[in-house]
Amino acid sequence: MGSQNKRRIINTTTYLLLILAIIIMCFPLAWMFSVSVRPNVEVMKMPPDWIPQIFTLEAYSKILGSPKYIRVFFNTVAVAGIVTAFSLFLGSMAAYALARFNFKGQRTVLMFLITIQMFPLVLLCIPYFRIFILLNLYDSLVALIIVYLTFTLPFCILMLRSYFLNIPKDIEEAAMVDGCSRIGAIFRTLIPMSWPAFIGAGLYTFLLAWNEFLFAVVLIESWGKRVLTMAIYSLLAEFITEWNTMMAFSVLASLPLIFTFVFLQKYMVQGMTAGALTS
Amino acid sequence: MSFNNSKNRSAPIGRSIPFVTLKFRRLYSEEILAYSFLWPSLLILTMLMVYPLLEVFRLSFYESNLTRETWVGLSNYSALLFDPFFWNIFLNTVLFTIGSVILHLVLGLGLALLLNAKINHIFRSVARGILIVPWLLAPTVAGMIWVLMLAPFGVFNGFLTALGFTSDLTNIAWLGDSSTALGSVTAMNVWRAYPFFMVMLLAGLQSVPQQLYEASQIDGATIFQQFIYITLPELKSVITTIVLLDSIWTFRAFDPVFVMTGGGPSYSSEVLATAIYYDGFQKMKFGYASAEAILMFISLFIVSAFYVRRAMNNNN
Repeated sequence: MGSQNKRRIINTTTYLLLILAIIIMCFPLAWMFSVSVRPNVEVMKMPPDWIPQIFTLEAYSKILGSPKYIRVFFNTVAVAGIVTAFSLFLGSMAAYALARFNFKGQRTVLMFLITIQMFPLVLLCIPYFRIFILLNLYDSLVALIIVYLTFTLPFCILMLRSYFLNIPKDIEEAAMVDGCSRIGAIFRTLIPMSWPAFIGAGLYTFLLAWNEFLFAVVLIESWGKRVLTMAIYSLLAEFITEWNTMMAFSVLASLPLIFTFVFLQKYMVQGMTAGALTS
Repeated sequence: MSFNNSKNRSAPIGRSIPFVTLKFRRLYSEEILAYSFLWPSLLILTMLMVYPLLEVFRLSFYESNLTRETWVGLSNYSALLFDPFFWNIFLNTVLFTIGSVILHLVLGLGLALLLNAKINHIFRSVARGILIVPWLLAPTVAGMIWVLMLAPFGVFNGFLTALGFTSDLTNIAWLGDSSTALGSVTAMNVWRAYPFFMVMLLAGLQSVPQQLYEASQIDGATIFQQFIYITLPELKSVITTIVLLDSIWTFRAFDPVFVMTGGGPSYSSEVLATAIYYDGFQKMKFGYASAEAILMFISLFIVSAFYVRRAMNNNN
């Protein structure tokens, strides 16, 4: 009886602690949302109101009604989407080579890929700034797409490689014996079989590109080319007091990722942890 | 080796070139195939990584505002190394990193243990899902939320008032005071990135063989003893990996400090990444900033070497 009681106490404590943790950890998120539906005068009140006294969507309509801000959403979607597509395409090719062939320099290539993931990205900013001005690509989304590959491509290669390694080589070889070319065999066997890895790597790549900030600050100047993270930051400088607009912007910037996460949690976690697990 | 031999043997024959080519193709067929798949990625990454690194290294010996360059030898480095300011920034970076990593580990391990307990599995997956959300946010967004919460009129001071603290404590500008700025940024960083530890450690916990716990229970081990003698040793490898990775990520982090304090007030929360940015892009001292970046690269490289070695061992 005693041990059963003890177990019940431990069980209850576990639930209570988890609920407490959820409340604390979600508080900043709840606060972001709650500020986004207040009029701005209410935000600055001291002591703060825990629950909005006046519910208003004026901050949201301000963002959604402004072509300047809508443009920022399109820019971000375009950059993140194109980076993801390129990373998966080039990454799967390289991953295939690393998983299927034994060749001279294989170890060096692997080491190179792991090492460049450890680079301090701020180091690259100075030469990039210079090169893109020379190439006339400063303040363009193309520049962002190119430099985002520096951190998304190595990740995609390593993650897809570790997945390909778990798929037996025999399946492709059988397809090749049956008259497929190598490329045909890859498209008919390997790629259909490794879709979870493509979804995982793709989602995480998209998340990284969507959330990136440093390169956007260094390489983008005009409002027409800005991406979400930078646009939100610029609100701090431009309208220092409009906290409700900024929080509404933050909610809108985070919602797509949170929604995707709700539906594809398994793959997304797989992608997020793969960075450490593959290596 | 054998390639050289075949070249020598075929040299006198008239049709030597196609023969060598054939031989080359057969000997290096794997290499040819492999590199035909690899070259686009390798080309892009080399251009994007190796060239800029060399360029920064070169620039660190010059005084440069990007239009005019003067060779100054090692004076950027000596200026940095004898600048107490630089060491202060370095110390901030180390404190920020150590604080973040330790708290990530404590929080992540605690939550992973709770989630791994014998609880309702639907509640478990819902709780896990909710607790991961901070990690999905951009550091910029997370930083902004905390700037708002920690403002003098913010909800954090509101809490303190509600808890009955006196009013001189409840008007603190947490990010505007040099004694609390770095700590506040660290707190935000802990909140945003603990889910990585939680997820990794939960996966680690789930792969610990249950028999170990059952056997130790028969031997009369307490929960605490089980934690020290079974759980921790089983998690050691995961912990080492994520601590190394997180140290590298935090040491080079730019967004949290830049967004929340801009390094201020009076450089009290400046870290290497933001200092390099300001020295380069605001003070236009690109040579100096490059030297700073190279020193940061070297410091990171030492930690990275451990990680790369571990990763390479696991890969083979």
